[in-house]
Amino acid sequence: MSEKHQTWGWMLAVDFFFAGMGGAMLIVAAIIDLFIGKNQISVLANIVGPLCMSVGCGFLILELGRPLQAWRVFMNPKAILTFGAWMMTFAIISGFVYASFGIDFGLFFWRDWGFLRQLLALVNLVTGLVVATYPGVLLGRHKGRPFWVGPAIMGLFLLSSLVTALALHLLCAMIAPVEGSVLNNLPKLLAALLLAQGLLWAGYLWIKASGTTAAEAASAQRWISGDLSKRFKISFMLLGTLLPLVMFLIPVSLFQGLATLLVLFGGVTMRMMTVTSGNDRTFLPGELQYRSRLPHGHERFLKKNWI
Amino acid sequence: MARYAMVMDTRHCIGCHSCTIACKIRNELPTYMIYNPVTTDGPHGTFPHLNMLFLPLLCMHCDNSPCVDACPTGASVQTENGIVHVVDKKCVGCLSCIMACPYGARYHNHETGAVNKCNFCLDRVEEGMRPHCVETCHQKARIFGDLDDPNSEVSKLISENRSFQLLQELNTDPCVFYIY
Ligand code: SF4
Ligand code: SF4
Repeated sequence: MSEKHQTWGWMLAVDFFFAGMGGAMLIVAAIIDLFIGKNQISVLANIVGPLCMSVGCGFLILELGRPLQAWRVFMNPKAILTFGAWMMTFAIISGFVYASFGIDFGLFFWRDWGFLRQLLALVNLVTGLVVATYPGVLLGRHKGRPFWVGPAIMGLFLLSSLVTALALHLLCAMIAPVEGSVLNNLPKLLAALLLAQGLLWAGYLWIKASGTTAAEAASAQRWISGDLSKRFKISFMLLGTLLPLVMFLIPVSLFQGLATLLVLFGGVTMRMMTVTSGNDRTFLPGELQYRSRLPHGHERFLKKNWI
Repeated sequence: MARYAMVMDTRHCIGCHSCTIACKIRNELPTYMIYNPVTTDGPHGTFPHLNMLFLPLLCMHCDNSPCVDACPTGASVQTENGIVHVVDKKCVGCLSCIMACPYGARYHNHETGAVNKCNFCLDRVEEGMRPHCVETCHQKARIFGDLDDPNSEVSKLISENRSFQLLQELNTDPCVFYIY
């Protein structure tokens, strides 16, 4: 029996990563534009946001069993995935048009329309918030997936989206600096959010491990002492959270630049692990034993030509 | 309008897997797809007070079906008489329904890219016949019928015996009942 692709795979995790990060980049840019001041964010950062979401879309399409029919995911307004797909589309379009205000190109005749820029910033804020939040909402609604179920995963995903988005904003600001930008104060904010991320993940695992059902406790044990524990402790907690936290507090550009890359690494690792954990369903009585006895597809008797 | 349901009489099931095989042959399923596995729960207890059940599983055709709610294309649908099935040409293989189903009742078909599942042999039911697994069960451990009809065999079995539904706490309102 081949277990190939009976659950969501790594491409969906990468979609969650890029989409969440891109959506949160729009939120950050919109808040700064609407409440702090204009021209604080480079064109590069404004383009990278919707670009990240587009890359996420690409991975989502590749994950489908029938990628050429991807347009059908827009068809059921009652499904959360459809809602997410529409919101992501709006966010990408709005994000790119918003970014065009910073590009000196004759065809962009709307560049002087201040009200449109403000309106797009508002649309970016709303759609970006939905795009950054919806992967967590999507996962948290899965009643039969003990590691995901509950509203807490939504908060963790939103926080991670914000952390990775701020890190990418900082990286963009290092590549294309903007004089006097509020982004120059980002490292301290990032360090604080990383601290929150580390604490919240520890709390999440503790709550799951001492959780309401045996299946929830077992799913958390995979992260605490099971097959996912090394990746959680070393890749996510140490390299993706604690090390960049310390590096952001050192006022050296090289350290802070490297820290942004580590944050991105931590963000993608966390999503890969979370999606992998969703393979654990609340199994029915005797089901695990039954499935463990099934052939895996590489047995000799399955390959032999019996005719 | 009927509300189709299935009753599994675990007192009669001997775990012979005939229904599993009948379904695989009838639906020409590849090796990795098993719409109705029969699992063994137990033995529980200590000698001489032991008990063990064979649990024939399949899609529960939930009244409150999370798989239908999760499907972004509208390929997963529930008919008026409660049967949950997939309209193959609309399915894009996003696997949302597989992830949403708490019963592991859905499979990704690697050849077609779509998702397949038990549909209570919809074509047979529409012609007034019973699903193939029910027809095959020589112990009469699988009983199929209309839950809305108080005189149907399924309604009587449920009202006259002790019964349970799987993962009832998830509020999916499954339409497969196990009597014991
Ligand atoms: S058992 Fe699974 S596939 Fe069947 S109706 Fe319920 S949720 Fe849907
Ligand atoms: S895999 Fe097919 S049936 Fe399942 S949710 Fe996606 S489109 Fe719907």
